[in-house]
Amino acid sequence: MNRRIPAWMWASAAAAYLFLYAPLLVVVVFSFNDSKLNAQWVGFTTAWYVKLFHNEEMLLAARNSLVIALLTAMASTVLGTMAGFVMHRYKTRVLPVLVLAPIAIPEILMGVALLMFFVMINMTLGLVSITLAHIAFCIGYVAIVVRARLAGMDESLVEAARDCGATPLAAFRYITLPLIMPGVIAGALMAFTLSIDDFVITFFTAGASASTLPLQIYSMVKIAVTPEVNAISTLLLLLTLLLITVATKIAPGLLRLNR
Amino acid sequence: MSFPMRDVLRFALVATAALLLAACGKKEEAAPVKAEAKTESKAAEAKPTGALNLYNWNDYIAAETIERFAKEFGAKVTQTYFSDNDEMLAKLAAGASGYDIIVPTSNAMELMIKKGDLQPIDKTKLPNLKNIRAEFLNTPIDPDNKFSVPYAYSTTIIGYNDKQMKKLGIEPKGWEAIFDPKVACGVKGKLTVLDSPDEVFSAAFIYLGIDPNTSSAEDYKKAADAIKKAKPCWAAFNSSSYIKEMTAGNIWLALGYSTDMYQADRNAQEAKQDFRVVSVLPAQGAVMSVDNMVIHKSAPNAPLAHAFINFMLDGKNSSELSNLIGSGNANQAAMAYIKPEVKSNQAVFPDAESLKKLHQLRLLSSEMRQLRGQLWTEIKVK
Amino acid sequence: MATDNKGKWLVGGPPLAYLIIFFAIPCLLMLVASARAPGEFGGLAPLVADSGKLNLTLASYARFFASAIYLQLFGKSLWYALLTTALCLAIAYPLSMLIAASKKKYRDLLLLLVILPFWSNFLIRVYAWMIILGPEWALARIINGVLGVFGAEPVTLMFSPFAVIVVLVYVHLPFMVLPLYANLEKHDPALLDAAQDLGARPWQRFWYVTWPLSLPGVFAGAALVFIPAFGIFAVPDLVGGTDGIMIGNVIKQQFLETRDWPFGSVLSIVLMVAALGLTAVAALAARPRRNAA
Repeated sequence: MNRRIPAWMWASAAAAYLFLYAPLLVVVVFSFNDSKLNAQWVGFTTAWYVKLFHNEEMLLAARNSLVIALLTAMASTVLGTMAGFVMHRYKTRVLPVLVLAPIAIPEILMGVALLMFFVMINMTLGLVSITLAHIAFCIGYVAIVVRARLAGMDESLVEAARDCGATPLAAFRYITLPLIMPGVIAGALMAFTLSIDDFVITFFTAGASASTLPLQIYSMVKIAVTPEVNAISTLLLLLTLLLITVATKIAPGLLRLNR
Repeated sequence: MSFPMRDVLRFALVATAALLLAACGKKEEAAPVKAEAKTESKAAEAKPTGALNLYNWNDYIAAETIERFAKEFGAKVTQTYFSDNDEMLAKLAAGASGYDIIVPTSNAMELMIKKGDLQPIDKTKLPNLKNIRAEFLNTPIDPDNKFSVPYAYSTTIIGYNDKQMKKLGIEPKGWEAIFDPKVACGVKGKLTVLDSPDEVFSAAFIYLGIDPNTSSAEDYKKAADAIKKAKPCWAAFNSSSYIKEMTAGNIWLALGYSTDMYQADRNAQEAKQDFRVVSVLPAQGAVMSVDNMVIHKSAPNAPLAHAFINFMLDGKNSSELSNLIGSGNANQAAMAYIKPEVKSNQAVFPDAESLKKLHQLRLLSSEMRQLRGQLWTEIKVK
Repeated sequence: MATDNKGKWLVGGPPLAYLIIFFAIPCLLMLVASARAPGEFGGLAPLVADSGKLNLTLASYARFFASAIYLQLFGKSLWYALLTTALCLAIAYPLSMLIAASKKKYRDLLLLLVILPFWSNFLIRVYAWMIILGPEWALARIINGVLGVFGAEPVTLMFSPFAVIVVLVYVHLPFMVLPLYANLEKHDPALLDAAQDLGARPWQRFWYVTWPLSLPGVFAGAALVFIPAFGIFAVPDLVGGTDGIMIGNVIKQQFLETRDWPFGSVLSIVLMVAALGLTAVAALAARPRRNAA
């Protein structure tokens, strides 16, 4: 499927990538900045990375964020795909509302409401409560993407499979799922991204002792966001890249975002 | 099996393994400390130990102080942070618990006392309490210090970039630099105020000669008008990054906390800027915010909490924060350890004359709060 | 059909149950909160008063409609959110088309490159934008230089509605790219070839073939951008200056400074109804097109 890509498309895509990466470049470059501030370039140093490795609080927070994000991505992808499938295939009225509403609701409202709810059922606040909260708002994103993908799918394939005697489950597993896999993966990526970066809802559902990276960074916001934060952002980026590379080596077909 | 399935399963397996590894790591961390704590508390019954949950402002305690405390008591200190009293109160109001020590400002503490959120402090466990200067004890908010002990204080003042102000020929001496459009607009686009109705309204009141603790709706409307008049000259309502902006030289004049201005100045010197950040206590007066240590009623480790408070009342320990961020200190024994440049800073340690012009904010009634909230929204929208 | 229904509940059951427990019930708590009185010390007043009666009131709703500024602010936030959505669409569409049209082995990489920046922390990215848009940097200098040529006054990019829009677009871009790509990737190139054979010019091929087919993806992306952007507070808080605030900031204010949770709940409910309502209207508007095609 090689299509000739017109020059204007190249140009605008390149501009889009530049737009996406300009701040990131600033983040990475300034992680080597020899100044406590993130404002002007002073000189080159790797001291911040060294400092970071001694900063136990920050490292623990980063680890918590990763664990929560992975769990959230897995759970919300499964639940979201199920929801997207049902929303597309059947005429339901309640599910679409419940699925879309967490996206519309202001985060602060959801955060406070969830906190009140957890307290009401006497649940201890911590990493578990954060994860449960994250899953709740990520399901919708996955469901929307999966449903959009299903909308473009050719139903006759499924019908043909059913005619050949396949059970609904088999038809889903062998026909539908592979076809919507790019949508599912895209949804999983979104859920991971949302979870690892969430601040407001995490803030309210974290309780006294759990800490995630956004909370940790926000606590540094007042005085100065030192380059240590740039350093951990850069490292987190590299770690995620590493994770993806390893994943593609172990499961080469996993990231077949195209058919 | 269709190919994506196989790969998905493989990935899921690896991911789960990674998660378990990560989770195991954490459990290992937690277990030895618990074991230590158990044996220690059995062996040394006299000395409190264990885990302490500290809920404090960002950057409001020196790392060395915490380390020293943890070592002396064999304790594990978990710190959670807030950057605003209202944040902390909102979380508590929604039911969050498990904090041992919280560090609220006096007016927030007033609410906590009225609400019954705090447990009384056992003063027999605080021999170092005698170090606190008499004028900071036994306040109207907490008579006889039943629930609280002063921690540190700051004033809300004006800070400015001396080089730029000199160029413009402005010498900020009072609140007119913020509220009088004739002066403020001279610095247009380079002036920020705190994003806090408490602080901005109080400053407006002081500028207009009204007591900041007024409960008159008329007064509030007057202050709101003054703020709306000056707003076009302001660049932003900013409580978080204005220190950085001042240090970088992007903002030249700001309504902010004395501790923040002190740090901005220190940062500017470290960054080898060609200007200083000067703090000035405005001539008409200013707000003083005293932060206190309190013990939450749900504190899991009250004995250790008391030990922490006594530890922080020690002169040397108390001085570390003042030297770090330029905070005011109510502890007489600490004065010997505080750096001279901090002691001589008028905005941090005001002289007797200026002290008379400082106001401490009291808790606002809920009707006034609603009115002020409405006015604040109007200010921000129009 | 019985088996059909069973399938619906089997597959739809778990997400439904999860969302009822962890979303619907908390929301119900909030709905009730909007009709309660504010607590004396913040939070909410007790639901059942000492007299045993239910302590409910619509006073907060009345306050909302009494003052024009809240509706004004809703209008402003709506405008910002629509603008952000439109800009995201404009930037994301060519990008998604490029990725969908690329050789298979490059697609994964290109898509990942889009998402990668967003695995770094949100706050630090906004701070990076504060640097980029700062007065000392290239962008501001270039723009002010150009303005200077025309004799216009220099502008500050930072702390302005401009900064808010730029960062809003930046923050929401991947949520437009991903659904759009997921849809565009499915398009059968044979359709475009057929159109070309029939003599259609490039823009006609786009407008009559690609665009209608991509509408579900466009709509999904637009929903994922518009709805969160409508209620966001962090971005206006950090870069908005004195003019850039949105309704999300006022809601946050109610829960924190003003401690008026019922009023905050009222504003949130109105926000949610407005956002979902508009999305539903747009969904209805988008549908007939597909059937006609």
